[in-house]
Amino acid sequence: MDLISNLELGFSVALSFNNIALCFIGCLVGTLIGVLPGVGPIATIAMLLPITFGIDPTGALIMLAGIYYGAQYGGSTTAILVNIPGEATSVVTVLDGHQMAKQGRPGVALGMAAIASFFAGTVATLVIAALGAPLTKLAQLFGPAEYFSLMVMGLVFAMVLARGSLVKAFAMIVMGLLLSTIGTDLETGEPRLTFGIENLSDGIEFAVLAMGVFGFAEIIRNLENPEARDVVRGSIGRLLPNKEDFKQAALPIVRGTGIGAALGILPGNGAVLGPFASYSIEKKLAKDPRRFGRGAIEGVAGPEAANNAGAQTAFIPLLTLGIPPNAVMALMVGAMTIHGIIPGPQVMTKNPQLFWGMIASMWIGNLMLLIINLPLVGLWARLLKVPYRLLFPAILLFCCIGIYSINNSVEQVIMTAFFGFFGYALIKFGFEPAPMLLGFVLGKLMEEKLRQALILSRGNFMTFVERPVSGGLLLVAVVLVVAALLPAIRKSREEVFTE
Amino acid sequence: MKFLAKLAFAAAALAAGSVSAQTYPAKPVTMIVPFAAGGPTDVIARIVGEHMSRTLGQQIVIENVAGAGGTTGTTRAAQAANDGYTIMMGHMGTHGAAPALYPNLRYDPTKDFEPIGLAAGTPILIVAKKAFPANDLKSFTDHVKANADKLNLAHAGVGSVSHSTGILLGSMIGAKPTMVPYTGTGPALNDLVSGQVDFMTDQIVNVAEQIRAGTIRAYAIATPTRSPALPDVPTTTEAGLPQYQVSAWNAMFAPKGTSADAVAKLNDALRKALADEATRKRLLDLGAVLPSADEQTPAWLGAFVAKEVERWNPVLKAAR
Amino acid sequence: MTDATGSGEKRSSPVRSPQDAAAGLFLLGLAGLALWQTTELAMGTLRSFGPGMLPRALAVILGGAGIALIASSFLKDGSTLERWSIRGPVFILGSILLFAFTIRNFGLVVAGPLAMIAGAYASPEARFKETAIFAVVLTAVCIVLFNVLLRLPIPILKLP
Repeated sequence: MDLISNLELGFSVALSFNNIALCFIGCLVGTLIGVLPGVGPIATIAMLLPITFGIDPTGALIMLAGIYYGAQYGGSTTAILVNIPGEATSVVTVLDGHQMAKQGRPGVALGMAAIASFFAGTVATLVIAALGAPLTKLAQLFGPAEYFSLMVMGLVFAMVLARGSLVKAFAMIVMGLLLSTIGTDLETGEPRLTFGIENLSDGIEFAVLAMGVFGFAEIIRNLENPEARDVVRGSIGRLLPNKEDFKQAALPIVRGTGIGAALGILPGNGAVLGPFASYSIEKKLAKDPRRFGRGAIEGVAGPEAANNAGAQTAFIPLLTLGIPPNAVMALMVGAMTIHGIIPGPQVMTKNPQLFWGMIASMWIGNLMLLIINLPLVGLWARLLKVPYRLLFPAILLFCCIGIYSINNSVEQVIMTAFFGFFGYALIKFGFEPAPMLLGFVLGKLMEEKLRQALILSRGNFMTFVERPVSGGLLLVAVVLVVAALLPAIRKSREEVFTE
Repeated sequence: MKFLAKLAFAAAALAAGSVSAQTYPAKPVTMIVPFAAGGPTDVIARIVGEHMSRTLGQQIVIENVAGAGGTTGTTRAAQAANDGYTIMMGHMGTHGAAPALYPNLRYDPTKDFEPIGLAAGTPILIVAKKAFPANDLKSFTDHVKANADKLNLAHAGVGSVSHSTGILLGSMIGAKPTMVPYTGTGPALNDLVSGQVDFMTDQIVNVAEQIRAGTIRAYAIATPTRSPALPDVPTTTEAGLPQYQVSAWNAMFAPKGTSADAVAKLNDALRKALADEATRKRLLDLGAVLPSADEQTPAWLGAFVAKEVERWNPVLKAAR
Repeated sequence: MTDATGSGEKRSSPVRSPQDAAAGLFLLGLAGLALWQTTELAMGTLRSFGPGMLPRALAVILGGAGIALIASSFLKDGSTLERWSIRGPVFILGSILLFAFTIRNFGLVVAGPLAMIAGAYASPEARFKETAIFAVVLTAVCIVLFNVLLRLPIPILKLP
């Protein structure tokens, strides 16, 4: 089989002493920046690029890739421990992961996240190796109309994320969509809703919004609520998941991996949808959906698997087409070009050592991350025992530095303070911030794709229905809406009766 | 907030201005790149900056300040302390097209900067989807003229290189195809490869590999001579559209009032970088065009920027 | 907006869910703000959107959700308004602003401890000495972490 000889070549490259060392350094740095709130892989990879000048291209890319997926691992640690999602993909982990931590099970949550990620990473690596090229062709069927329909489906998922009032969840999604329209208009270049602030001309940075409404607002709320103040009261329970936990998490992990891997292949950053989709599906399938948002282990395992699978398969469009699906991958293109390898459809045949070496190193990297992260679980869990009066100023400082480092911009730090207040107001009015963040993330892509599709079809809305893939996705969305609304209507009727 | 920002700038200028008058450079030099890391300008800045650091004996630290088509970072550079410790890598957009595209621009490319020198240009290519029904540039332009209302021209967002150069191409052919905006080169190229859009113009480094692989086709390169990276692609002069000459040039600037000594030292370091064999090779591998000796002086760059601003102004204003 | 009318205990008012009513007003206010800010943007047509189309449409929907919330607050019992604290927001948000205004001018050596110490006073349990020592140590750690290990261009110290 070709695949086996290719993987053999890959492992012979990846298992050289140098490359193992580079992979390890990458994973370590990645974990570090993932844990630090706000510091994303983009700023770090950019600053570390010059260091890689002296290394051969394969080694350099192995290290940079390690930083990228290492950051995904580290990001969930912060999400679980201090309730701050560093990236769009860890918003979902916050919901149940942090609840688990509060209930004295931070170790179980962290361990499960690491194990789910490892499983997903392993499967995704195999998918890339075996099916990368044919899947790329399939993903090419996705034009603007298809993406728009996919995003519509994503928004329907967001409704399921909601706890409590459906109207409030709906309002938060719309709020997120509205926030995403802030910035320069795509077509005309006119500023929209920027209030004359130049820094808003490219819209609101995701980390600014997330850190404000989750990080800072959460700190303020914790401070006024002394019982919730010390994140973990009482003793920290088991550090690793037990048999029972695995039993609960096994199927969600498998489903999450499948969903995440499939969405990650799409060259338009479909990976962001993975964790949301996985969470929604697990909540729908669960016998008792009320457990979700209150520390359900499936709500950590599934989305984490989806997140990591998507992060890995996002390499497919880059490696097989030479087209980066997101900002980090665009940076990888920069890294490759600096090293004299211009990514394109021929990387696989022209640089088989690099191509297969990188794929093999992905699996090695995932194994390393598991080895790095499992022993750290105990350390992280103990961190929560630090008195809150010391912990929260530290979080504050890390967040400030992190935000500043995104674009070396003071204005963005100020904006985060504003969103901290905004998030505090949302909490006081009983709104959940998670659907808003999803609306925000999807909104940008959605408007872009909607308008592109309408330009291409010269204003014909039927394009969304006539194109088979797009029409199919919309149909699924409609079915989901009906399925979601029926019980809600029935429930509200029951409530009326019990009154 | 504006007041506070001004206050901050004033304080920053004060803080930076008091650095003692040792021989320049006495500390690391910050080079603002007004684009996200990983793009063509960023890559060129890093390659050149790395060699310049060695000549200057001080690290050149790249600071990416992306936003508003590069104008956010350029504004910051224009307002930075003119002590030689903040410089920037500008390009065709920030120092050529921006005045026409942004009516409220807070800097003047010709007046608010001391030119240091031209770094490298990346040629622009006219590319189309694989199935585009034309075999050479002549039949391409004929087809675009005849079917302008049916064709879609992709670009990477208002203010991007592909946007400006695409408009220029349209105005020279005398056709107004539908412009489809994307957020960045990646998504635009993706839809060109999959045939959702019909054609675009973009920098060689972004499209070269796709052309070699045959996933898109190239009609011409807008430089006087063919590129060694793509020797089969004819120049616009050869192919019959000689007036379409355009390159996404990148050049270094310092804030107005930076001392002549600092500018001379930076220019010298830049020249040395461009003369270095390994650095040259890296840039040429990207398909970049390196400036000739007389194009490397600050004076040449100053005159060139003035010409570029004048050239883009009518073209882009007409398209608005 | 910052003051709480925590008087929802009595059932005399026709508003049966004060939190929902306030939330609805909040949404209405934001929708109004967005509509006002987008008045000058072209709407375009349904076939070819202008820059104003989506923001305005979303603002209208958001306002609609606000009205629905207000209406339901008269019909269904719900939570009362929570009290807004002053100390937390002022010190937390203030310390972030302090960081913002000092980082570029004085560097992390000044901005770091300043933000942490000021922030710590958001909690009534703050102790100056303990916090100060912790802040200095943590700032040093941050410099090693961000500037040395990750090589981010964060200003360390700028003396006037």
